[in-house]
Amino acid sequence: MIELYHVQKDFRGKRVLRDVSFQMSRGDFVFLTGPSGAGKTTLLKLLFRAEQPSDGQILVNGMNVGAMPPSRIPELRRTMGIVFQDYKLLPTRTVFENVSFVLKFLGVPTQERKRRAYQTLRMVELHHRLSAFPEELSGGEQQRVALARALINEPELLIADEPTGNLDRRLAEEVMKLFTAINVRGTTVLLATHDQDLIRGSGRRCLTLDRGRVLEGLVEPSAPPPAALLERGGPLAEGEP
Amino acid sequence: MSGRRTSALTALLDEAAQGLWRARRMTVVSVLQIAVSVFLVGVFFLTAENLRGIVETVKDETAVTVFLKAAASEEEKAEIERLAMESRLVARSRRVSTQEAGARFAATWQSLARASSSLASSPFPETIELDLLPDATRSEALPGFLSLLAARKGADDVQFDVDWIRRLRGAVALIAVWGGAVGFFLALGAVFTIANVVRLTILLHRDEIDILRLVGAPEYLIRGPFLIGGLAQGFLGGTLAVGVLYLAFRGVLRYVSATHNVLIGAFIVRFLPPSACALLVVGGLLAGVIGGSIAVRKKHLQA
Repeated sequence: MIELYHVQKDFRGKRVLRDVSFQMSRGDFVFLTGPSGAGKTTLLKLLFRAEQPSDGQILVNGMNVGAMPPSRIPELRRTMGIVFQDYKLLPTRTVFENVSFVLKFLGVPTQERKRRAYQTLRMVELHHRLSAFPEELSGGEQQRVALARALINEPELLIADEPTGNLDRRLAEEVMKLFTAINVRGTTVLLATHDQDLIRGSGRRCLTLDRGRVLEGLVEPSAPPPAALLERGGPLAEGEP
Repeated sequence: MSGRRTSALTALLDEAAQGLWRARRMTVVSVLQIAVSVFLVGVFFLTAENLRGIVETVKDETAVTVFLKAAASEEEKAEIERLAMESRLVARSRRVSTQEAGARFAATWQSLARASSSLASSPFPETIELDLLPDATRSEALPGFLSLLAARKGADDVQFDVDWIRRLRGAVALIAVWGGAVGFFLALGAVFTIANVVRLTILLHRDEIDILRLVGAPEYLIRGPFLIGGLAQGFLGGTLAVGVLYLAFRGVLRYVSATHNVLIGAFIVRFLPPSACALLVVGGLLAGVIGGSIAVRKKHLQA
């Protein structure tokens, strides 16, 4: 799914990433951690070609991301969902529009868009806020909308950059449960966070960035999988849009 | 697949319409700017068109008019005609009676017809019109021939207005060139206005553009709504300008008819032909497309 070989990244002569190599398989859930400024965001940006590596090779779903011509970048990005710390929701659009406008531009008919938006928002428990605007939602709800937007195109890979950075502990844990549920459904997740409390006890593989280098680790599990969330994210019942 | 394409096209149009609506103040300013530019070009076109019309209706360039004395006998008239046909400069000769001249004047100068009919006697003398052969205007024998005609006993005056008409045509050409030049600069102004309006719209939508890129929307779907927006603004501006121009033309006609203004009445003859109206609308549309294209260049979208 994701393969990095000896990747380096320089910014104005300063080396931000040094000889980064790691692999992720389909269905993995991996944390990327490290202090602020360690290069987590840069590493994620390399994966969806918002940045180009200075050296080394990056393969995502078999596509050579670094050598890819700009015209193929949209194709790469359509295979993944991206979630940001600041949500990046459009303030003038409703929850439904925020979640579904990607599909609108991909030519998905209105009824199908409505059905998929409802289904995805139901998974993040916001199907009752379809007509709300982002400013009417709490931080946790906004992040769940952003997550729904990332998931609506059914990506194989979900990349999240500090998705709980603006949330309090309770909301952060709720959002983390969603990521876990999404991963159990088969989506590969790479989640960058500096919050060690979220990682602790997760039982997940953890990549730590330290002065531009990646250190491997595995966190011991301390909680059972969130079965209740999995049920909520299941198929739609009869009569639902 | 075709359904998806149709939906994507619908989405493009929908987004373009929403974009124009969200930035409606700027949209109105842009449409008005284009309309003013196209309107001014249209005024030049209309002036040139009417001057051209005057040239066409006043006199044929290759026609000589011999004004006859009121007391000219039939023999004297016939002698002028014979002289003309034997000159090898004239293709046709025809007599125009006082009544026929009056009717022609009334048809051409409608606003003056009432004034002429109120006179006790007709101001239009009987004439003989001579159509010159195509090369006759360049013949060295022409001035002598005209003098000979003027010296005939039955002739009162000989009119051959080629120089005056040429000067008028020169003025028409000059106005057309000036109109073109002014139109070019006005169109350039409209293009940059639209480019700036579209660029401001892009700034308003920068977050959306970023997000669309992150989710893998193709470039044409990102740029499309802005281009369509520019095109719509240009079309609206061009159409508005032609509409206002037509209303202004009708207003002037109404004014002439109400005031019997001879001077304006002599110049206002006809509105622009449909092809010229279409050209003005297309001009506005092109200004919109070019302005939109300038604004959606990659460097601006990434700004």
